[in-house]
Amino acid sequence: MKKTRTLGALGAVLSLSLALAACSGGDDDAASGDGASGSGEGGDNTLTVWAWDPAFNIYALEEAEKVFQADNPDFKLEIVETPWDDVQTKLTTLAQSGETDQLPDIFLMQNNAFQKNVINYPDIFADFADSDVDFSEFPESVVAYSTYEDVNYGVPFDNGTAIGAYRTDILEQAGYTVDDFTDITWDEFLTIGKDVLAKTGKPMLTGQAGSADTIMMMLQSAGASLFDDEGKPTITDNEALLAAIDMYGQMVDAGIYVEVNSWDEYINTIVNSNTAAVVNGIWISGSIQSAPDQSGKWAVTNVPKLDGVDGATNYTANGGSSWAITPNGNEALASDFLNATFAGSTDFYDTILPKSGALANWLPAGESDVYNEPQEFYGGQAIYADVLKFAAEVPSNNTGAYYYEGRDAVSVAITNIMNGTDPAAALEEAQQTVEFAMG
Amino acid sequence: MSAPTAPTEGRAPDAPPQGTKKSRPTRLPKTPLSAIQRRRSLTGWAFIVPAAFIIVLVNFWPMFEALLLSFQTGRGTQLSWADPLLLNYQRLFQDETFRLTLATTFIYLIIQVPIMLVLAMVLANLLNAPWLKYKGFWRTAIFLPCAVGLVSYSLVFRQMFATDGLANDLLINFGILDDPVNWLGQTGTARMVIILGLLWRWTGYNMIFFLAALQNIDRSTLEAARVDGANGFKTFWYVTMPQLKPIILLCAILSTNGTLQMFDESYNLTNGGPGNTTMTVSHYLYNVSFRNSPNFGYAAAISYAILIIVAVLAAIQMKVGDKRD
Repeated sequence: MKKTRTLGALGAVLSLSLALAACSGGDDDAASGDGASGSGEGGDNTLTVWAWDPAFNIYALEEAEKVFQADNPDFKLEIVETPWDDVQTKLTTLAQSGETDQLPDIFLMQNNAFQKNVINYPDIFADFADSDVDFSEFPESVVAYSTYEDVNYGVPFDNGTAIGAYRTDILEQAGYTVDDFTDITWDEFLTIGKDVLAKTGKPMLTGQAGSADTIMMMLQSAGASLFDDEGKPTITDNEALLAAIDMYGQMVDAGIYVEVNSWDEYINTIVNSNTAAVVNGIWISGSIQSAPDQSGKWAVTNVPKLDGVDGATNYTANGGSSWAITPNGNEALASDFLNATFAGSTDFYDTILPKSGALANWLPAGESDVYNEPQEFYGGQAIYADVLKFAAEVPSNNTGAYYYEGRDAVSVAITNIMNGTDPAAALEEAQQTVEFAMG
Repeated sequence: MSAPTAPTEGRAPDAPPQGTKKSRPTRLPKTPLSAIQRRRSLTGWAFIVPAAFIIVLVNFWPMFEALLLSFQTGRGTQLSWADPLLLNYQRLFQDETFRLTLATTFIYLIIQVPIMLVLAMVLANLLNAPWLKYKGFWRTAIFLPCAVGLVSYSLVFRQMFATDGLANDLLINFGILDDPVNWLGQTGTARMVIILGLLWRWTGYNMIFFLAALQNIDRSTLEAARVDGANGFKTFWYVTMPQLKPIILLCAILSTNGTLQMFDESYNLTNGGPGNTTMTVSHYLYNVSFRNSPNFGYAAAISYAILIIVAVLAAIQMKVGDKRD
């Protein structure tokens, strides 16, 4: 009997210890992978941050750390490089399982995903009500992404303001200058574009097939979105959306907008001089400048506007991101840090702009000399000052919790419309898809 | 034909003892186990319990939780029991995207698995042929794709089948095509590229199973067939194939299971496009959980739908496999 009991006990203990080992192993992985211990154990002056681009937002964090250390010598940032898709997956997993103590103190979030996460997982966000951050110093349209029910949940970081970047050398061959593309409508763009194509053989624009980027930018330029103020989808009977899709179709049919299949191919069309222009967020400048042989051949202006749509403007945005803080006990330090750097230091923005092209959303930064310096690559134009002026004009649009559903459904509709489906029917289907997802 | 009947004849005498084995439990209380027997059985349990405990903890328990989750609905963490309880399962039948992804997944399954298994069988037989030289090299070369990460090969395929990619360049240079084909931009060709990718990645894997099984076949059965005057094909069809049946069944079930749960190729190669027409069910499941506004209750219901389909298909395959035996 004794032996059987020993064996039984042995089995139980063994299995238990193995299970525990497995669990603790998981914890170790999580801790080293996330660096999530920062909030609890890292001391009062260390903040853990998730961000994804070493050349861009992580670089900005490192510089911000130096700026903040000038007044707080003990301060330390623990930056964990986490690709955006992983940030979203981790946040969802942690929020869903209630393991909020594994969260970092600060994380970067895509503006388009902000509403969705705040609405679904309010527990992982701390608000900025007790902080000194002055949100009036940011463009209203940008702050709107991270504001839910009049509460601020994010400090805007990179600027998604859209630019129209044009190849001056190609336009010259066709007898145009960048002024011919400033403050124009998409109809005019189409007419000139056909001429440029006939004379130079180059399309005006390129883009990813089945991506709604261009359409969404056109929509926002008119202050329109796929949702109304109550968050209900408005994909059918959406004047701006119909106009945008109609224009998109006309450009593709005319051959002045060439669709490619992947992001890499899209970038290649720019780098290999297979397009006369680019309309995208200012962050595309990094890719444009990756072709040194094109230096001096680019100029930047605003984007065309939709014809016959109420509230249409020449300004829009695509993408961008904001910093969020978590309720882990370090909110005060985290918001102080953000307030002193991303929302309060001209020196800081002066440092990061030339090296990383990280354009501020913080309007006072635009008064600095660095922003007014002529950019050699853009033929001596001070593009950053120009873009900041554009930024203030961008109409805000409502992303809502179901932005990705809406965007994906519209992407599918565009693909079907390009393959010959009736636009109204395709959009009706998209509306139903989104309504189904919300139901 | 003598070979397949021989095993069944051989099995027939086993039947009575099996019958007596079955009746043993009723006899158990009458003759208690000896101390040695009991100790052996407990030793066995002691070895099994840790593994079983872990499997239950990390496998069956989450599956059970997922089942509970599939009966719940709500936003983010604010979940409540669905009313009616099967709401998420009812949603499945109204979901156009789910229907589309399920149809796409079945197209992959129906086209890719048979081609792959036949190819794997042909390759395994070639590699098993006594006259083949450099067997090790060929075997490694064919198996090597399995060592490649799913994401990396998907990305390479995406590059190869880009409009200005290798596939178009080659086909145009050889004069087969006049204009580049937009492989990934059209539903039919995009699905074909995914199927090609799957074939490249998994054929070698199944071939290894077949090769191992082929090497276990008793040479004397093949020689007997040859003595009886069977040609190469007949030997293969009537002697080799029946002996491979269990392994074919295994490969068919594994491949069906794998294809129904396919995610990486859909996500990385085509990203579901054009217009969701190459998206697999698992990719849709991921989107519902992480890309879209999270709906974990519904996502769990989708995963159970996959489970049920896999289970039904496996049951059918085992049934069909049994009949032939």
